[in-house]
Amino acid sequence: MLLLAAAFLVAFVLLLYMVSPLISPKPLALPGAHVVDKLLQAKKEIEMHSINDKQVVLCISVDVSQDYNQVENVIKQAQEKLGPVDMLVNCAGMAMSGKFEDLEVSTFERLMSINYLGSVYPSRAVITTMKERRVGRIVFVSSQAGQLGLFGFTAYSASKFAIRGLAEALQMEVKPYNVYITVAYPPDTDTPGFAEENRTKPLETRLISETTSVCKPEQVAKQIVKDAIQGNFNSSLGSDGYMLSALTCGMAPVTSITEGLQQVVTMGLFRTIALFYLGSFDSIVRRCMMQREKSEIADKTA
Amino acid sequence: MLLLAAAFLVAFVLLLYMVSPLISPKPLALPGAHVVVTGGSSGIGKCIAIECYKQGAFITLVARNEDKLLQAKKEIEMHSINDKQVVLCISVDVSQDYNQVENVIKQAQEKLGPVDMLVNCAGMAMSGKFEDLEVSTFERLMSINYLGSVYPSRAVITTMKERRVGRIVFVSSQAGQLGLFGFTAYSASKFAIRGLAEALQMEVKPYNVYITVAYPPDTDTPGFAEENRTKPLETRLISETTSVCKPEQVAKQIVKDAIVVTMGLFRTIALFYLGSFDSIVRRCMMQREKSEIADKTA
Repeated sequence: MLLLAAAFLVAFVLLLYMVSPLISPKPLALPGAHVVDKLLQAKKEIEMHSINDKQVVLCISVDVSQDYNQVENVIKQAQEKLGPVDMLVNCAGMAMSGKFEDLEVSTFERLMSINYLGSVYPSRAVITTMKERRVGRIVFVSSQAGQLGLFGFTAYSASKFAIRGLAEALQMEVKPYNVYITVAYPPDTDTPGFAEENRTKPLETRLISETTSVCKPEQVAKQIVKDAIQGNFNSSLGSDGYMLSALTCGMAPVTSITEGLQQVVTMGLFRTIALFYLGSFDSIVRRCMMQREKSEIADKTA
Repeated sequence: MLLLAAAFLVAFVLLLYMVSPLISPKPLALPGAHVVVTGGSSGIGKCIAIECYKQGAFITLVARNEDKLLQAKKEIEMHSINDKQVVLCISVDVSQDYNQVENVIKQAQEKLGPVDMLVNCAGMAMSGKFEDLEVSTFERLMSINYLGSVYPSRAVITTMKERRVGRIVFVSSQAGQLGLFGFTAYSASKFAIRGLAEALQMEVKPYNVYITVAYPPDTDTPGFAEENRTKPLETRLISETTSVCKPEQVAKQIVKDAIVVTMGLFRTIALFYLGSFDSIVRRCMMQREKSEIADKTA
């Protein structure tokens, strides 16, 4: 009797796995698609990878967080030269870490402006055309720090969490128009931006970050493009990324039944594991605090 | 055998329940405590101030409009439980300039002593389709809801860490837990509050400072009435899934510092809700297109 029930369950799950691709969005065809991105100096580097004569890399210089009208113009220019935008990747952003009371007050507004508004403006400039054409992809590059708040990342996490809120709401608005949103949550990635971030990183943040390894940007990019073409809402890399995304999925949409099923099944286990991680982060913070106080007392009595 | 394992499991869970209060922070004593409430002149903020006042706290109300502040002060003072209690009112825009906010906190601390609890309740909501919202709305909501919570928190945090005691409450929203149609700008600002709070809690935990993030549902306040004036149809229909609460209930709960735990069952339920929201949006879209075609052919 129990065996029969188990067999039915297995058969049902297998059926879901087979049916799953049917509810997923149709993958975006990249050949010939028009992707707008902000890599000015990389044009030469990118052009080395061309696969036919027709491909073009267009470069336009603008600060995407400054003024919406400028951004709208840039998109208009780009569309005049290369046609309507099929996929927008919002990758402009920067990171800065430090204790809440040590960060310069202007940092909070600055990070929010670059990371959040700098994603809002380009998205707003392309969304109407995408809805009219009934096709499009918008990628937002958040961060693992946009899935959990970590010591030293008060300003940064806030800006990356904001991107997620925007993306979830936006996806609900544009789903019937066959426009799909992807939010990528890369881990620490070996880039110039990361090197810059490390210059001022507090000790506790560095110690906590050592829980995950640094990735190569090529790996991260491959995963993001794959998820974007497919139209997956969630894009993450590695086993840490998988666990964090399943754990923090909250009310985010799914684009495949299998993804939903996995989230349902793993959540309890992952939350348990997460609680242990949180405990270890708290103890790192506590130890650093006590270390610092001991040395302050030592300095005073010296 | 199975029965024995089940018995062990039940005993273990009961043990955890008994041990749990031991790892929880010691509750903050409200009698005589100095509570600062931003956005305290109306809505949820005012009710939180009343709730704290009823339990013996000294209140500093921070808001922009002086008349509203004085009115709220009178209303709060009706709930006093002893002669010593004070309600202080200071008028400032908490999102404008950090130095102004720092001054306000300094003034408040000179009169009523160091801040024991800060409630960041200043905020506003606005909804509309992503492409219909005015471009300035994105920056404005982020400024009021997020920066307006950052600045007061930053002004009190150092003293709280020195004294090794404090509470900071951030009032997010259910829209800060899930993004809903029409709330691109608002949800982003309320999600941001959560990211800030999670990171901040990790920094201040060893100092016995505790952060609370409140996620109120639609609450019957002047702010909500304002929000409803421009709400899109889809947003209204989706919001009807939950009922509107009274601000007194919300305030009581927030002050009690509730903690919630979720598991796999809720994710299943959540997926069904998401499905129904998507179908509301799709139906409205098709409805709208049908009427557009009808208008064209007419």
